[in-house]
Amino acid sequence: MPVPVLKQGSVLIASIQAALSDRDLVELRDDLADRVGRHRSRGVVIDVTALDVLDSFATRTIRSIAYTAKLRGAETVVVGIQPEVAFAMVQLGLSLDGIETALDLEEGMALLQAREAERVG
Amino acid sequence: MTDLVKESSTQILAREMALTEQSVERRRRIVGLEPDDLARIAGIREVVLAQVDHFASVFFDYLSGIEEGRVLTNNRALTERARELKRSHLIAMVGGDYGRAYAEQRLELAVLYGRVGLELRVFIAAFHRLLRSIGEAVMKSTPQAPLEAFASFMALKKIAFFDIGVIVDAVVFERERVIRQQQDAIRELSTPVLQVRARLLLLPIIGVIDTHRARLITDSLLKAIRANRAKVVVMDVTGVATIDSKVANHLMQTVTAAKLMGASVIVTGLSAEVAQSLVALGIDLTTLNTIGDLQGGMDEAERALGYRVVSMDPRRDGAPLSPG
Repeated sequence: MPVPVLKQGSVLIASIQAALSDRDLVELRDDLADRVGRHRSRGVVIDVTALDVLDSFATRTIRSIAYTAKLRGAETVVVGIQPEVAFAMVQLGLSLDGIETALDLEEGMALLQAREAERVG
Repeated sequence: MTDLVKESSTQILAREMALTEQSVERRRRIVGLEPDDLARIAGIREVVLAQVDHFASVFFDYLSGIEEGRVLTNNRALTERARELKRSHLIAMVGGDYGRAYAEQRLELAVLYGRVGLELRVFIAAFHRLLRSIGEAVMKSTPQAPLEAFASFMALKKIAFFDIGVIVDAVVFERERVIRQQQDAIRELSTPVLQVRARLLLLPIIGVIDTHRARLITDSLLKAIRANRAKVVVMDVTGVATIDSKVANHLMQTVTAAKLMGASVIVTGLSAEVAQSLVALGIDLTTLNTIGDLQGGMDEAERALGYRVVSMDPRRDGAPLSPG
């Protein structure tokens, strides 16, 4: 199932609704890399609230999305990591170093806005 | 009735100490007991049995003769019981069977010594007196063959050291029971996660951190972050006495997990000793946001959340509540 990507002002929101196959993840990566340029976005929010597992491939893909977006001028925030998922990731040694995380979509949007305000002001 | 209870408590102790056939076999090997020795001990059996009461008296007379021994000898009932046990001990010492049952019988005396608080060094000294008088009796019994008598006595001495080993272990085990219970209690301490202000949590950690507890702490912290929508957590480790690489790793995991949920963690309360030992061990905690004490950590957290604490006292108008 492809991931819907919504555009909200200068921010792209990728809202993951169900467990993703590796293929879906790669498609999401390519899609976002393309859209960041097309919409001249300044931020990307990846919402993983619905996921109850984040394996190493998913983590790696999210990391590469973040770095790609950064190179094209957009900041990425991963939001909605569940407590169990966070614990499992730590146990498995998976990290999202250098990538912003936030509690939920609202927090993530607030964080991007704060960043934008910093940059402008 | 009391005998039944006593019997079972000795058995429980034997089980807790893992006093199995194998471990008793190992103990026999440690003191170097050989088949030769059993034959030698059988040879002096009659000599010992003839004077069991005398040998037991040597032991108790020594105890009543010194200050430290009177904790036992002042208690008439317990002394009677101890004397009885000591007699059966002496009989069993030359009995030839040194299996698990033999070791288990020694525990009752050990428990008794432990209960009255008889110091091990005093027990060992008294036991030494007893052995010396046995030695004298053995030597006297065969004046024509002193070397033989000496060898027999040395064989018996192996049993004596076997007994000392069991008794010392049992007394130490009993004494450490308190420590074990306290450690369990510390481990069971709950770890509250407290909301200090909106979006600010305080996590005071007290006691021993092991894998199990670290998991509980992380779990309750992550749930609290979600429930309170926290952005900043102050983790205070003042109450953690020692931090080694394992504990440091647990703390790192907790911090990383909180970060994944969008909350930043400020670690406070690393004492000078802990900090120095971390440096000495080469444990790198520089990726953590550490601040000296809880007060400093709270100030930092409030700043990060955009709070400014102002004194209502006009004399200190506008000054931050905390000094400095």
